[in-house]
Amino acid sequence: MKLLDNLKKIFDAKFSDVLNGTRISLFDFSRNTTNVVEEKNRGILSIDVSKASSKEKQLIKELFLDVNFQEKGFLLTDKSSEKTIQIKENLPKGDDKKLLQFYKDKLSPEIYDALDASLVIRNSFKKGDDILELKLDVIRKYPTFGNNLCNLSSQGYFEDHFKQMYDEMFEEDGFDIRLYQEKVEWIIKSLPYTVFITKYKKLDELSGEVKFKLEKLRLYGMNKLLLHGLGKENVDTGLKIIAEYKDDKTIDIEKDINSSKTIINATFKFV
Amino acid sequence: MELSNVSFSDDAKEDILVLYGKTIDSEGFIVELENNNQRVLTKNGEEIHIDEWAGIVKGSEEFIKSDTFSLMQLARKLVK
Repeated sequence: MKLLDNLKKIFDAKFSDVLNGTRISLFDFSRNTTNVVEEKNRGILSIDVSKASSKEKQLIKELFLDVNFQEKGFLLTDKSSEKTIQIKENLPKGDDKKLLQFYKDKLSPEIYDALDASLVIRNSFKKGDDILELKLDVIRKYPTFGNNLCNLSSQGYFEDHFKQMYDEMFEEDGFDIRLYQEKVEWIIKSLPYTVFITKYKKLDELSGEVKFKLEKLRLYGMNKLLLHGLGKENVDTGLKIIAEYKDDKTIDIEKDINSSKTIINATFKFV
Repeated sequence: MELSNVSFSDDAKEDILVLYGKTIDSEGFIVELENNNQRVLTKNGEEIHIDEWAGIVKGSEEFIKSDTFSLMQLARKLVK
């Protein structure tokens, strides 16, 4: 391993050849150690750059970092390296790629950009990975619609609802793509006929949201509201909201819960 | 799976920056070591705070941010 040989040249270190092929991380743990090079964790060779002399630092750069940089094409922090792996393994491909192709010239660049990222998040979530940081990045970049878009994307709205809406609008006389873009954006921002159950909202808040949207939909003659929830806790919340309408003869509720009771989808229809 | 067997921890960021002729200013943004008034920009022209710095990518030593969108661009380059 060239990098390890170079490291030996720099420090004349007495570390074992067992480390061949190991991962090497550059630290600054000045409070914890006196050595410049050591095996900090099993299989990870750590170099404390803060303790290296100026000459050693220059050699680290020339013989170690630059060599690796030329070979790999990048140098990342530990965290960004892990995050890039997560993203790389979940990039849109297959049907996701076709979906992006469909929307490329139909959605505004911002919505399209967020949709692209939401597909990475969706794929990662399906594998059981932690998606919080990825989702927060989308929300930070697009605070007015990022969260809703990720939720809609995870529920397949871009596969059916928004496609169907495009087909219907396209058939109308004087179709203008800007009208479609505005409508998509409005739906994503205001979720007029959708409520997503989240642990960050209390039951009475969600219950009020369902009630408010049902009243609006009834007023404007639209016939259904969709309720979605993921996770046991959210399924329980969904069931409590549904129970509030058990005596309401004007609303028919169809609910679908998976066998492990971690996913709930319910449709509220006006009778 | 590992992208590379060399990476660096958050607490070594400033040491690494210095090796590449950069440092941080009083507000924590990455600047040229030789000219602390000149902030380093991403390819998209954004200033980079040390907390959101992901690393360096080949292509005249491009400095990149650690958000999902920036790393998606890198990940797509790696797939090619």
